[in-house]
Amino acid sequence: MKNFLRFKTSLLPGTLIFLTLLSFAFLLFYTLYTSQEGTVFTQIDSRIIGLLKFTLYQAFLSTVLSLVVGVLLAWALAHQSHFKGRGLLVALFSSSLVLPTLIVVFGLIGIFGRNGYLNQASLFLFDHSFGAYIYGLGGILLAHVYLNASFASRALLHSFESIPKEKYKLAKSLNFSVFERFLYVEYPALKSTLLSIGSTIFLLCFTSFAVVLLLGGSPSYNTLEVAIYEAVRLDFDIVMALKLALIQLSISAVLVVLSSGFRTGLANLKTSHTLIPWRETKILRVVQWFIIGLFTLFFVLPLVVIVVDGIEADFGRIFQAPLFIKSFVTSLSLATISSILTVIIAVVLSHTRRNFSLATRLGVKPFAKLLDGIIAFSGNLYLAIPSLVMGLGFFLLYQKTEGSEVVWATAALLTANVLMSLPFALSVLTPAMHKTAQRYDKLAFSLGLTKLQRWIYVEYPYLKSSLGYVFALAFCFSLGDLGIIALFGSDEFSTLPWYLYQLMGSYRNADAAGVALVMLVLVLGMFIVIPKLFKGKM
Amino acid sequence: MLNIKNLQYQYKNADDLYTYNLEVNPSEVVAILGQSGSGKSTLLDIVAGFIEPMKGSVILDEQELLGLSVEKRPITILFQNHNLFEHLSVQKNILLGVNKTLKDSIEEVEKVQDILKEVGLEAYEHKLASQLSGGQQQRVALARVLMRREPVLLLDEPFSGLDDATRIEMLELVQKITQEHKLHTIMVTHDIDDCNRIANHIYKMQNHILVKQ
Repeated sequence: MKNFLRFKTSLLPGTLIFLTLLSFAFLLFYTLYTSQEGTVFTQIDSRIIGLLKFTLYQAFLSTVLSLVVGVLLAWALAHQSHFKGRGLLVALFSSSLVLPTLIVVFGLIGIFGRNGYLNQASLFLFDHSFGAYIYGLGGILLAHVYLNASFASRALLHSFESIPKEKYKLAKSLNFSVFERFLYVEYPALKSTLLSIGSTIFLLCFTSFAVVLLLGGSPSYNTLEVAIYEAVRLDFDIVMALKLALIQLSISAVLVVLSSGFRTGLANLKTSHTLIPWRETKILRVVQWFIIGLFTLFFVLPLVVIVVDGIEADFGRIFQAPLFIKSFVTSLSLATISSILTVIIAVVLSHTRRNFSLATRLGVKPFAKLLDGIIAFSGNLYLAIPSLVMGLGFFLLYQKTEGSEVVWATAALLTANVLMSLPFALSVLTPAMHKTAQRYDKLAFSLGLTKLQRWIYVEYPYLKSSLGYVFALAFCFSLGDLGIIALFGSDEFSTLPWYLYQLMGSYRNADAAGVALVMLVLVLGMFIVIPKLFKGKM
Repeated sequence: MLNIKNLQYQYKNADDLYTYNLEVNPSEVVAILGQSGSGKSTLLDIVAGFIEPMKGSVILDEQELLGLSVEKRPITILFQNHNLFEHLSVQKNILLGVNKTLKDSIEEVEKVQDILKEVGLEAYEHKLASQLSGGQQQRVALARVLMRREPVLLLDEPFSGLDDATRIEMLELVQKITQEHKLHTIMVTHDIDDCNRIANHIYKMQNHILVKQ
């Protein structure tokens, strides 16, 4: 008890936040459950089974493909470790984490769509069009691989580079083939990352919304998330939306619990060069360069298309449009507030969590591990509660209370943005804060530093780079998200992704290209500038 | 006098019970010898307040220290690593924790300069800790001991990473500081030569019990 009192100032705020988060989850579930009065939750028809089957099927295929591409790319980059621009390429691939899904889809349509560059080139060269093949399962898989393979490759590259070079020397001396080398040397080092990244990708694809909404094409390619959206916005069938939301919520929660054992953080992993003192065989080098070249083209071309098409837009008209100005201001304001809240909550939760994991604090207490787990779960609520389900909860609360739509929409978006960024923020900050405490706890405690002294002289100098990264990540996530806004979006309340979606839906492609370019510049700019501001390098 | 009486500690999920009895007079260095994992550092962790013993007492001049929190114990501890905050200057490292404010007084800054002279690091006050060699870093840590003026100094193998010549220099500095400032110094080491060089008394961990040699 004496020890608990000693750490009360770092335990109380974290406990309050985690209680608030869990109460929110309970309130959401309660609202959804009580609102479905009169319907039979267990009555699941063939349409729902079809939706569920397709949702799981596309998530499974997307995960397998993303992992295969990610492993190939990481393998090629690990063995071609000394070419100019490699660092930039790896950094570019990792930016896929913050690229707004809507922009990626817009870029992919620009390349692979009916009027995309690939079809135009094919028509010009062979007088043959591939048609609108991007709409459907193919397009969904393409977009999911684009978004997930690139960031999976970064984590996998980190695993490749952590293999001791003695193991490569051993493989060489035993005359291993490339397949044997992969099987006995490389795969064991990748296994845990594959499980961890794979389960995260599966969860992200299972709850994928914008990609399926834009590329699904027909009802046969709908997922649960899109069906919830259509039930609310197009069919006004709240009962169906609730039924789908509860199914989605139950399955997501089960998936999160099942995968929690091996799902680790997606921290900003640093990559380095593996120094293997010999060159790969010529054929292997050709294969590796082919993989790097092909994926680079696949990754860069959609972004180039956004820039090329966007530059031609009439920015004078776009910037003067009242709805653009409103969306721009709303997006920036929400992103700023969400990022500040995310950083504060992540710091407080990480601060509380490290009390339960360090022996110098409360780590030796009997309930430490359990309390640590509960607080960690509260920070990862988003993975268990998909944003559309959360949005539906807010939508129902709004209808029940008859409050202002703008107020409810703002609250819903801020909550969703913070919860969406928290798992990533915690995966970066928790290990960093744990490390500073592990390193300096004894010294800081024995010197009797005050809380303020400790934060200014010890914590902040070590954490500022991570804080900048987390802030940038939260800002970009918030700026690009087309989730809850799909339920609340209107002319009165609009964000940039919602505005872009409206432009794409009304075939105002020139303006859409301009807005997409603005969003791309904003997101990439912020992702580069904000961490530098925190480091004081600007 | 620092008197450690019937101090007992047992790690969670472990069978071994560690028992310590020890006396240290002012101006004396007591060395504790033992292999890695024998429980030497555990004693320092208890005396410093990082872990709580099952029973026993740690009395300094009739004051029981065990009930006090880490920061209230009249103790300074030096570890093998991480004695300094590498991103801060030498001066800030020495002054950190001396007062509770964010601003250092002119008197304190002047005192740091005197102390740095005493440990042979004159004109180093504005260098970053990360710019110093291992030996210089431990000198700064010893300078902090002088600044804090706590009567008990605990050394947890602080010089084992240094080369022979620097280690001997540092040991002699510890001996000098202990005698001049009447400190009660406990040094944990696995090197018998270090013990013979400066210790007034040597204790050894034998079968989890601290025994005077």
